Amino acid sequence: MVVVLPVLSGLVYATLYSFGIVGILNEGFTLENWSGILSGKSFWTSLFFSFYVAVTSILISLVLSLSMALSWKKALQNGILSTVIYLPLCFPGTVMAFFMFQMLSKSGFLSRLGFEAGLIQDLTIFPELINDAYGIGIIITSVLLITPFFVILFTNLYRSEQIENYKALASTFGASKSQLLRRVTLPILLKKSSVSIYLFIIFVMGSYEVPLLLGRQSPQMISVATLQKIQRYNLYDIPKGFAMSILYVLIIVLVLVLLYWRNRAFFNSNQTS
Amino acid sequence: MNPFLDIQGIYKKFGKDSILTDVNLHLKKNTVLSLLGSSGSGKTTLLKIIAGLETQDKGEILLYGKNINRQKPQQRNIVYLYQEALLFPHLDAFENVAFGLRLKKLKESVIKEKVDLMLKNLGMTNHASKMPSQLSGGQRQRISFGRAMVIEPELLLLDEPFGALDSSTRGKMQELFKSLAHAMQISALFVTHDLKEAIVMGDQIGKIKKGELLQYETKKDFFNDEHSEVHKEIDFWTNIKNN
Amino acid sequence: MMKKILQYGLIISIGFPVLFLLMLSIGRRWPYPALFPLEMSFSNWEFLQQSDSKLFQAFFISLGISLSVAFIVTSIGFLISKFIAYSKQRNTFLVLAYIPYLLSPVIMAVIFQYYFIITGLAGSFFGVIIAQFLIAFPFGIIIYDNFWNSQLKSIEELSYTLGGTRIQTYRKVLLPLSKNAIMLCFFQVFLVSWFEYGLTNLIGSGKVRTLTVSVFNFVTEANIFYAALSCCLLILPPMLLLYINKRFIFFVEKTNQ
Repeated sequence: MVVVLPVLSGLVYATLYSFGIVGILNEGFTLENWSGILSGKSFWTSLFFSFYVAVTSILISLVLSLSMALSWKKALQNGILSTVIYLPLCFPGTVMAFFMFQMLSKSGFLSRLGFEAGLIQDLTIFPELINDAYGIGIIITSVLLITPFFVILFTNLYRSEQIENYKALASTFGASKSQLLRRVTLPILLKKSSVSIYLFIIFVMGSYEVPLLLGRQSPQMISVATLQKIQRYNLYDIPKGFAMSILYVLIIVLVLVLLYWRNRAFFNSNQTS
Repeated sequence: MNPFLDIQGIYKKFGKDSILTDVNLHLKKNTVLSLLGSSGSGKTTLLKIIAGLETQDKGEILLYGKNINRQKPQQRNIVYLYQEALLFPHLDAFENVAFGLRLKKLKESVIKEKVDLMLKNLGMTNHASKMPSQLSGGQRQRISFGRAMVIEPELLLLDEPFGALDSSTRGKMQELFKSLAHAMQISALFVTHDLKEAIVMGDQIGKIKKGELLQYETKKDFFNDEHSEVHKEIDFWTNIKNN
Repeated sequence: MMKKILQYGLIISIGFPVLFLLMLSIGRRWPYPALFPLEMSFSNWEFLQQSDSKLFQAFFISLGISLSVAFIVTSIGFLISKFIAYSKQRNTFLVLAYIPYLLSPVIMAVIFQYYFIITGLAGSFFGVIIAQFLIAFPFGIIIYDNFWNSQLKSIEELSYTLGGTRIQTYRKVLLPLSKNAIMLCFFQVFLVSWFEYGLTNLIGSGKVRTLTVSVFNFVTEANIFYAALSCCLLILPPMLLLYINKRFIFFVEKTNQ
């Protein structure tokens, strides 16, 4: 009985893959769509762009969150900050993206501030921070969404992994402050959170609402690109969209298998039978 | 004659609680002083103060006659070992032992030589590339020792290192430590709540109770002390024998 | 000193978006380069009194969907995750559960949209619930997985050996002990569903107007004031949750051993 449910979800997609081959306007089994996608630039550009946005966002978040978690240990464990830091978790991607749009667009709040302060004379001078080629707006928004999460994660890990004790021990071995940071605190924190970090990269890669509001036509992140193919008026694009989805799923499964091989302990919980 | 380690008049309070009251202790070089103390006796605080991880309210710590009160833990060359082995989870056995040597930025070949020798003395050569999670409790304690002793510290402070081990592993570890300490001429303060262990491990014995320390000049003095637990033990076994 | 300044700066910058959105939501005109909306009134918020206003309905549609999905996932997930956790193939199931968890909900929606169309569920309230269930269920399994351990199993078996029936064991032993896990799962799934846009929009064909769908609709209509209003409504339940117990908002998968 139970096996059905998880597999059911699996079955549902598995048989649906067939849509990529069958469907309106298709003359039956054809590899055209697949070869179009695989050799075409757009899929790989999207994938690469998504990866770049994800990794950049994560890296910036890591630097910010580690600095905060390590410098403000006490304030984060007790006091106002320990509650306030949870507040950004209440913001979904949609809201954050909308807010950032109002902040960073040419007619947005920052631009108006600049105008009032006399820094710019005309709104066209304001730099393009959203809908731009480097995904700056997307990256900033993603950083804002992820950083609080990492701050909480690292603060909790610091306590549960007894980093203070390791630091005391290492200092009696003669470790200087910077050695403590480089050889004890950071390696332990990063090692214990490594799988979460990889998972986050995958999440950001697949994000939809944020790039939808803040991205531009090209390059597009993978979810937006796929949806566009499905929803456009050009019906010939629909199978292409499906091919992209399937490819994306295969890639994710591949990455998951990789993660599993390299981090078995994470996935293998203690057997209870 | 300047004793190697001289602790004079240490006082420490946490809030209203007096943890250590007028603690005095002296240790000759290359000897092991066993401190018999249960939890709440202040033993951990005393060790941490000597290591520089806590500061005393009053009192002096003299190493070779020099006052080291102001020195940071990094500078004292006194290693404090926690009860748990506390191996670095991100390093394998070899790297754990090598940790202190790498901090000193010694040459790679020197490090390898010292660590290999230490692993051999510990009987852990075959486990060199294992991660801490793959080692048993006793193996972890061995690596923890190796890590501390390979940097040849002036003084080793051991806080009930065998507390979590079963009795047979414990016995083996006691022997191992004694032989290594002797071979490497280590000076150490060994804290335990186990009477037998204190007698086996130490060249000298002291008792710490409720923040006050009493150091016996010889083991015989300890035995003769009518308050000591030894008599209770002897009576216990004598009774069994007679009944 | 610097530390304190930075910390207060952070607290202010976290609170700023909320205030900004609130401000926008009561605005009516915001021509460039004014810093603040020129006309501010609470008339935008008066929808609260009009039960036929679109926003009013959107709020309750969202609420209905999210509560339903959370309830179903939490209850079914509780039983199934227990089965999985105590089975020999626990690890396989867990890895399988991670696949839908990692895929973006929109892509999943693309993939099973076909079935929703042919069963006529596309564009329906019920259809959206099912779709959200399909993506939230694996997540629920992952949340619960941490919770079932050998100690819990021993307690359950103890109850049986003391003469307890299945139902008694559940009621008197397992459920009380599981309170925290159940609440965490419920709220986490609720939030996932509450915030969901892409999948809801695709499966709902735009006809099921949840709050998130409303935000995007208002943006395309260039009505940023109502969009801001919808955003304020969107963050209301999570903030309530934060007030109740901040720990329910935060979930992380197990850490590495």
